[in-house]
Amino acid sequence: MKGREESDKRNEGRGDLGKLGVSRRGFLSLAAGSVAVQAASKGWKMLPKEAFADLGNREASEDVKVVPSVCGVCTNKCGVLARVVDGKVVKLDGQPDHPKSQGRLCARGQAMLEVTYDPNRLKYPLIRSGPRGSGRWRRASWEEALDYTAKNLLALKGKYGPEGVMFSSTEGFQEQFFIDLSEAFGSPNTFRHPTQCLVANNVAFFHTYGTVPVPDVANSCLIIMAGANRAEAIMTPDTIDLFQNLHHRNKFIYIDPRYTVTASKADIWVPIKPGTDLAMVLGMIHVMITEELYDKPFVEEYTHGFDKLEEHIQPYTPEWASKECEVPAEQIVEIARMFANAAPKCLFYFGRRSSFDRNQTQFRRAIAIINALAGNWDTLGGMLPPASARLGFTIIPPFPEHEAHRVDGLPESYPLNNTKDGVYHAGRASVLKGEPYPVKGWMIYKQNPLHGMPDRAKTQRMIDQMEFIAVIDILPTDMAWQADVILPEATYLEREDPLHTEKTIKPYVSYRQQAIEPLFETKPNFWIMKELAKRLGLGQYFDYDMKTYINNQMKRFPAEAKKALLERGVWVEPGYPRYGKHRARGTFLTPTKKIELYSTRFEKYGKAPLPVYEPLPEPPDGKYRLLVGRNAYFTHAALQNNRWLLALYPENRVWIHPEEARRIGVRDGALVELTSPVGKGTMKAYVTEAIRKDSIYMDHGFGHTSSGMEEAQGRGVSDQVLIEDLSDEISGGVCYHETFVAVRPAT
Amino acid sequence: MKQNEEETKKRYAMVVELKKCFNCKGCVVACRAENKVPLPISRNWIDESGVRGRYPFLGMTFEPAACNHCEDPPCERVCPTGATFRSPEGIVLVDNRKCVGCKYCILACPYDARSVNHRDRVIEKCTFCRHRLPEGRTPACVSTCMGHARHFGDILDPNSEVSRLLAEKDRYVKKKEAGTRPAFYYVY
Repeated sequence: MKGREESDKRNEGRGDLGKLGVSRRGFLSLAAGSVAVQAASKGWKMLPKEAFADLGNREASEDVKVVPSVCGVCTNKCGVLARVVDGKVVKLDGQPDHPKSQGRLCARGQAMLEVTYDPNRLKYPLIRSGPRGSGRWRRASWEEALDYTAKNLLALKGKYGPEGVMFSSTEGFQEQFFIDLSEAFGSPNTFRHPTQCLVANNVAFFHTYGTVPVPDVANSCLIIMAGANRAEAIMTPDTIDLFQNLHHRNKFIYIDPRYTVTASKADIWVPIKPGTDLAMVLGMIHVMITEELYDKPFVEEYTHGFDKLEEHIQPYTPEWASKECEVPAEQIVEIARMFANAAPKCLFYFGRRSSFDRNQTQFRRAIAIINALAGNWDTLGGMLPPASARLGFTIIPPFPEHEAHRVDGLPESYPLNNTKDGVYHAGRASVLKGEPYPVKGWMIYKQNPLHGMPDRAKTQRMIDQMEFIAVIDILPTDMAWQADVILPEATYLEREDPLHTEKTIKPYVSYRQQAIEPLFETKPNFWIMKELAKRLGLGQYFDYDMKTYINNQMKRFPAEAKKALLERGVWVEPGYPRYGKHRARGTFLTPTKKIELYSTRFEKYGKAPLPVYEPLPEPPDGKYRLLVGRNAYFTHAALQNNRWLLALYPENRVWIHPEEARRIGVRDGALVELTSPVGKGTMKAYVTEAIRKDSIYMDHGFGHTSSGMEEAQGRGVSDQVLIEDLSDEISGGVCYHETFVAVRPAT
Repeated sequence: MKQNEEETKKRYAMVVELKKCFNCKGCVVACRAENKVPLPISRNWIDESGVRGRYPFLGMTFEPAACNHCEDPPCERVCPTGATFRSPEGIVLVDNRKCVGCKYCILACPYDARSVNHRDRVIEKCTFCRHRLPEGRTPACVSTCMGHARHFGDILDPNSEVSRLLAEKDRYVKKKEAGTRPAFYYVY
């Protein structure tokens, strides 16, 4: 992907010759001296030898226990088989029965060993002993740390009410217990990550289809992806299905201003102007409607508001779209025709992170609409209704009613959203203002708001005004560094987790079994929540153990399911995918019971019921539009302390077009200073043709400041330092691509 | 007896479908984990072309690479102690009991596929995960490949996946001119 890193890696990959800066020829002349050779061989002979070069050979003869588990490195949760020798995990392999990654693991999944055995891991509870953020801690017993946390939480509850404490968490198999604790505690203020991620997708599809469908990538004949960089932002099984079928599929069209790895694999790469994707899709819809290429019977039977759409789309001609998005009108027409011709085995893939710009929700709505026009609902190679296995549950006492409203004003402020997830930046703004009430306590599980929320300086101010912060994590992250108490969690290999099912084409259940005992004094989140609840006087909500919880989940499963879960860690419900079943039923969970091309809910809440395009401001002279994204080696800001992965990709660098680089006097690899309206950063430049002249790009997740993470600290720059606090008014999704940044050589 | 040997004869090979490799580097980390290869060395890697051309007319390729397990391995020829040898299945291995660490093999290899593991004082190179094969498991890099780009098997068996791919598709080997006859093929 990057020419320069390639040379770095050559050195890294080929051992000590390169590292010492000794060329092959130079080495020859060195070795030619007999003294050198003798010395080398002498030292060599004195050392103990293994039988063969394959050290792994030893392991094969040893007692290997294979424990089925579920990868915890990202949101995908692929099946894993952990090979355990003497209470230590020695290797992770993919679980072939698991429908997610189908027996494969990416670099991150393979590198999870380095997470569990990371020397920088949080080993025991810590209580802050110096000023906040000073990094001065004292080791505490669990007893003391939990008492301390409970005492502070109760004091805050007494002073500000339960709503004075906010609970932030990111998904994981034990997140539910954290949310249960927040409910039991009585705080309405739960904050999860969707507004930084996929909220626009969810809102757009939910209010169009009444559900968020699942793409049947494996069987589709034509796939269009807009900014969904599936080679580098890996989503299983979509990534695997896409690449496995590249040869057999008719066409794969990829829309992105950046030449990513996915672009290099596409049949057609459309280098679009950033922030104009909606214009292109509207142009395509125009072609499909005016040329009557849409699925008429389907549209008639299953959709609502086609006549309104037809009228609405008139001004959005391909020629108009072409002016906006800098894609030739002929190409827009051609792609629209290709898409319609492949129907219904075609997909306008809607991706995952949709937090691009102010048009994000309407852009995703347009994608929902164009798919509906192609009539690919519930067909082979189209979009399927999601299915998930039905888990039993454990009965706990009803949670108390919340007396206070949410601090971010939901549901009134964003009526189309899922209330429990919250709108993070709105919450932050209210907390900073202290309105409508003070929030002075912060419980954080598995989340790093300093790396997840735009405008890091604001997040820091929010931290500074907190009276008490507790962080549950596995590494001393930047957020943990700001905490008053840190509770160390066990990594996924050290835990037994509740069963998990996900909404996919083939419903399945995963069972993460415990591979090894927790290292050091770390504990699973369930244990931490249970102990904390006892001390908060909320023990009745956690009056069960993990085994009971799992048994209750399994209660309704057939015997073979239980057997499969115990033996292989996964059970796939037979009889899926059921193409056409939902279509036969024919009703959707929308107010009109149809696919709402014209959204009645959007109308009800005063949002544009049909996608309206709003042009974005152009970058001012001398500034560039900042784009952010992922590479395949790190999960957001979570793995930058992993040496195995840093060997693949040591830091993020800012992509800049060669002509622009020449203009501002920056060479490849040179340090540049980036200045945005809200922050500054200095990082290395990556001069590349892979980006437009008006934009720059950087990977998300670098720029860690915590000195607890020795490997991650000081590598690259965090995009959140630079990005402005802007959001889409419909779904509250963050606008990650609307910040303009000045670049100049660092002095 | 002789005939029996002929029947069971195997020749292992790796075949990579280039279009399906998307540079996720699962193979690189899987190898490190499986064979406990210490940083900074690595037994396998991906040769990246970098972005070529002018925006928006661009190209970029990825070529996974490791020891080619040559039929005529130069590393074996230069080894003064006979530590480097070819197994009956065509896997090039190092017997560490015989290795004196002269590093001639590192210089002789046209593919840069060998390096010194200072931690264990051994020459580190790909073994096609020989220890996994008797259990019916493919090499770690193959079994983890997200794009299903890597294939491993016996090219003497005409029904194997690798034989089929080599028969069906255009292919090449690296540095054919070196005359090493690699068992590491690339197909388009």
